[in-house]
Amino acid sequence: MNAREMAAMAARGIVTVKPDVPMISVGLGTCGIGNGADVLFDALVDAASGGKVLVKKAGCFGFCAEEPLLMLYRPGNPILLFGDVKASKAGKFVDAACDEKVYNKLAKTARAKISNWDFRTSAFDFGQGFPEIPEWNEMPFFKGQEKLVLRDCGLIDPENLEEYVAVGGYGALAKVLGGMSPEEGIAEVTNARLRGRGGAGFPTGIKWKMMRQNVAPAKYVICNADEGDPGAYMNRNEIESDPHMLIEGMVLGAYAMGAATGIVYVRAEYPLAVERLRKAIADAYAAGFLGERIMGSNFSFSLEIVSGAGAFVCGEETALIASVEGKAGRPLPRPPFPAQKGYLGMPTNINNVETWCNVPVIIARGASYFTDIGTEKSPGTKVFSLVGKVKNTGLVELPLGTPLADIVYGMGEGAGAHKHIKAVQTGGPSGGCIPASKFDVHVDYESLASLGAIMGSGGMVVMDQDNCMVDVAKYFVSFTSAESCGKCAPCREGLSQMLRILTAISRGEGGAEDLVELDRLARVIKDSSLCGLGQTSANPVLTTLEYFRDEYESHILEKRCDAGTCESLFEALCENSCPLHMNIPGYLALLEDGRIEDAFELTLRDNPLPGSMGRICHFHCQMRCRRETLDEPVAQGEIHRYLADTMYKMGREKDVWARLVKEKKPATGRTVAIIGAGPAGLAASFYLSRLGHDVTVFDSKAKAGGILRYGIPGYRLPKDILDKEIELWKKLGVKFVFNTTVGKDVKFDAIRSQYDALIVAVGAQADKRLGVPGEDLPGVHPGYEWLEAFSLGKAKKPGRRALVIGGGNVAIDAARTLFRQDCEVTVAYRRSKADMPANAIELAGAEDEGIRIEFMLQPLEILGEGGKVKAVRFRVMRAGGIDPSGRPKPVETDRIVDIPCDDVYISVGERVESAFLASEGIPALKDGRIAADALSGRAVGNVWAIGDAVTGPATAAEAMGLGKRTAKAVDEELMQRDVFGTLFRDFGHSMDLPPEPLKTQMCRSKQVPPEERRGNFQEISMGYSGEQALVEAARCLRCDIRANARSPWR
Amino acid sequence: MDIQSVTSASAMLDRKPGGVKGAGSSAALAKPGALLMALEEAQRACEFSYLSEETLRAIAASTGEPLSRVYSVATFYSFFNLTPQGKNTIVVCRGTACHTRGSLALLREAAARLGMPEFREDEEPSFTTDDKLFTVRTVACFGQCALAPVVSINGTIFSRITTSKLCTLLDGLKKGARR
Repeated sequence: MNAREMAAMAARGIVTVKPDVPMISVGLGTCGIGNGADVLFDALVDAASGGKVLVKKAGCFGFCAEEPLLMLYRPGNPILLFGDVKASKAGKFVDAACDEKVYNKLAKTARAKISNWDFRTSAFDFGQGFPEIPEWNEMPFFKGQEKLVLRDCGLIDPENLEEYVAVGGYGALAKVLGGMSPEEGIAEVTNARLRGRGGAGFPTGIKWKMMRQNVAPAKYVICNADEGDPGAYMNRNEIESDPHMLIEGMVLGAYAMGAATGIVYVRAEYPLAVERLRKAIADAYAAGFLGERIMGSNFSFSLEIVSGAGAFVCGEETALIASVEGKAGRPLPRPPFPAQKGYLGMPTNINNVETWCNVPVIIARGASYFTDIGTEKSPGTKVFSLVGKVKNTGLVELPLGTPLADIVYGMGEGAGAHKHIKAVQTGGPSGGCIPASKFDVHVDYESLASLGAIMGSGGMVVMDQDNCMVDVAKYFVSFTSAESCGKCAPCREGLSQMLRILTAISRGEGGAEDLVELDRLARVIKDSSLCGLGQTSANPVLTTLEYFRDEYESHILEKRCDAGTCESLFEALCENSCPLHMNIPGYLALLEDGRIEDAFELTLRDNPLPGSMGRICHFHCQMRCRRETLDEPVAQGEIHRYLADTMYKMGREKDVWARLVKEKKPATGRTVAIIGAGPAGLAASFYLSRLGHDVTVFDSKAKAGGILRYGIPGYRLPKDILDKEIELWKKLGVKFVFNTTVGKDVKFDAIRSQYDALIVAVGAQADKRLGVPGEDLPGVHPGYEWLEAFSLGKAKKPGRRALVIGGGNVAIDAARTLFRQDCEVTVAYRRSKADMPANAIELAGAEDEGIRIEFMLQPLEILGEGGKVKAVRFRVMRAGGIDPSGRPKPVETDRIVDIPCDDVYISVGERVESAFLASEGIPALKDGRIAADALSGRAVGNVWAIGDAVTGPATAAEAMGLGKRTAKAVDEELMQRDVFGTLFRDFGHSMDLPPEPLKTQMCRSKQVPPEERRGNFQEISMGYSGEQALVEAARCLRCDIRANARSPWR
Repeated sequence: MDIQSVTSASAMLDRKPGGVKGAGSSAALAKPGALLMALEEAQRACEFSYLSEETLRAIAASTGEPLSRVYSVATFYSFFNLTPQGKNTIVVCRGTACHTRGSLALLREAAARLGMPEFREDEEPSFTTDDKLFTVRTVACFGQCALAPVVSINGTIFSRITTSKLCTLLDGLKKGARR
């Protein structure tokens, strides 16, 4: 191969890189094929047969979530990128390639365009046009990416050497062999400050220099493609999509270091990568880029593939060498380093795939081109596999130093509005878990290490609230423990001991001393293991212990796994996600067996307000119901409402109540005061009085119920149901002191000293202000305050045109209440409909009633006239990038609108009013929330805090859950006993597996039609009929039946 | 394993390296990764894709390697099976992305559906049905993380698998296999 032959080869390659005829290319990496790209490709070939459309295989463009990816090119136009293309559309694409009209129409569905492409070793202009289609790097997933390593991926055919040469491939090799000395080559890599991309970040130039200096009869270069990190697959993609860049990098390295033989060690799980690399090597030999006297020079180099056989430890260089030598892959102590004594005892250099792939660019463009990208200490880019609980998954390549938040929320676009991202795991089993609070970290070797994580080979697994961090630690330790080669004791024995402890914790069998032991073990393993596998294996444990200690404590002390992962710790996911941990499968089974009274009693013991909560609950249970994967979740709440309504109607609750009263524990002589008779205070007082304590509840209002009575309108929760349920408290002997505000009517300190325990459950009802001019005009009402006044009959008659600002449940409650007062109601919210925090069913109800909801409006000013509200001025927003709440951030536009109105109701959130506690030495956070222990609820001394006062505005069920939890903790503290479990009963419900389910919809209860809702507060939902309740209960898949590990689907 | 594959495996081992000779190691192993590849090839040639004792002995004899060394290699790497495998292989990926997206439940489902008696989380799960029709195994990672969770059935990778999708696939496979 000489310069002229190479130019001829490039010319042949250009014909298919930027052809003169229309071209369709499909990304045929493993990801694409796994999503049907091969079927699509075959269909395209069929459709195009005989025509003049070029149908081409390409590598992967990186956006794996959107596979199969298709690129459509008509000469003179930009390349158009289409995602998620079905094989049935093949004909359409071929038509579009041939026919401009069809093409222009189809272009409207393109995800992006590529007008020009920088192959780094060359650049191509494909064409201009389609101003309305974003450039590829304007799409959120690609925005900020810098494709240096992935320079050719998706644009060229990985099996076509000519295309690689056409985009400048092997140009660096020609440059070097044409007159650069090996030392000059090493200097270029050294000056580029390239660092090992396998994760450790050792300077590549120094490694090469050490190798160069060793004189020996033979020297070897090895490519480590044993990508064993679960969760990382960039090396697979790099080889599958552009194998020649690896070969070129290795030849360049071999020349610089004086090696004549190279080996690529690829894992066997990557058959496609092996196949493509094998072909590329054969082609390179045939063209003279490998073999004897490469490109006419005196340099000869042979390259072959060794396929690994599945052992994670072989990623360690000395173990890898042992494996190549045909032995079990057990590492050796270093020194001697492989550069001194490696494969067959000869000097050997091992670099990761991606490290090699950077070399051709560094040589072709010079070190300074490379150092202009990335940070001072970590120049260049890194490819990451962004996977897990994030919307856009795929391979992203970014300049080192990019903030982690940009990756997760920018490119990944978060996890959606309903899930919150908890952590990112980087570096696989050797890495750590970075909590969301540290997402401002810049991704480079040193910054990640400072958090206890590592960059590793580039796996980034995003985790959300449904992932348990104890389980994550256990998962990695079980992996490393299984993969430990067994040679050194700290790793072999230490990891199995850590696994034993973690398994015990995940089964609820852990003790507080286990955390100390884990920490100690982890540090010993880290300090004394022989190789990298052991030395880094403690990172997942150490980082989760540091950043997610509360989860470990919850598993150990409470025997709970809030994420719903550790199966020994819950009955079913619905039960586990219910803040009150209601035994949902239990009452469903009892109802099915016709045991209504028992079913009711079971719900009542778990949740003392079953009728009320069955109406207004946020239904955390439904969000994790496994039935949803089949059709729709089970309406668990509707059923406990049905049970309560039925019992109250028949008057049979009295027997159940009598049982509870009768089995009250003997009087303990201890006194408990609770401030606030809302859901949290009611739950705490219910359990504490059943435990035998003398409980007094203070409330500033005239009746109990808090937000259930004064905030939630009657059409959702009729007050007679609440009154009925609260009778039970009186029967249990709970004392209420109404119309008494603590801190004003009675001194906090007086109560605190008078009672053995004091529980603060004051809620979060202080409306937040907008902070815009005109907010104090007459006619402007804080939303919650207004709802409360309305429920007390103290609100003035509203004007005709009502404008509610906000998107939460308080806003919708206010809007629907105003609708019932014959107002013309508009709701204005600053984000989109999908991002509204209000319950979906409430939002749908409001829309049914004809309430106008305007989205993307940010209030600027409340305009007045004659000393009264006249209108509200809004700025129109548009959806920007994803913010840490998982929703698109509203971004300002130039447009301003005024919405005229007579009254404005501001419901943009509530905060905790805890100023009165500050002087009492009760710790509070900046936003007013009371600081209390996450598990017990204890704030300080004999003062405890529960509900919204601790969490900020949350759901009634969550408030009750905290009340229940703290009741247990207070009892244990006051009595030094553990009897909480005796408040519940086993009703011996059926444990028979239901038959194989057929697809059915959730039963819908009858509703009062919208047109009959104006002017009255009649309850909208009429609840289930007996028949509906039975049908719905039978839809339960009974996830709680797992004793024999049989799936209920069988 | 038949005679032919033993011969071809040993033929491969006999091939002399192009570059350095010996270098202090046995000549048979101077070819990089030769023993691994011989074992891989032998396993591939076996109908039940595993390495029987006779096969290991045959490879040891033909290469002159001690049997203990051959056995050590065969047991070290997860790719090698020392027990017969089923005609159909279901591999559930247990990589991190798949794990966070619920692959443990899929493994349980696959095992239960095919009649695996008991599944223990702390053991390397590999199970073959008595009729040698099905094997359920795990893999550390397929590198198909963006489309997690993934399951491979007879070498074809299926992406974004749910319990109900898996059931449909397995039921189809069962019908086909037992017909």
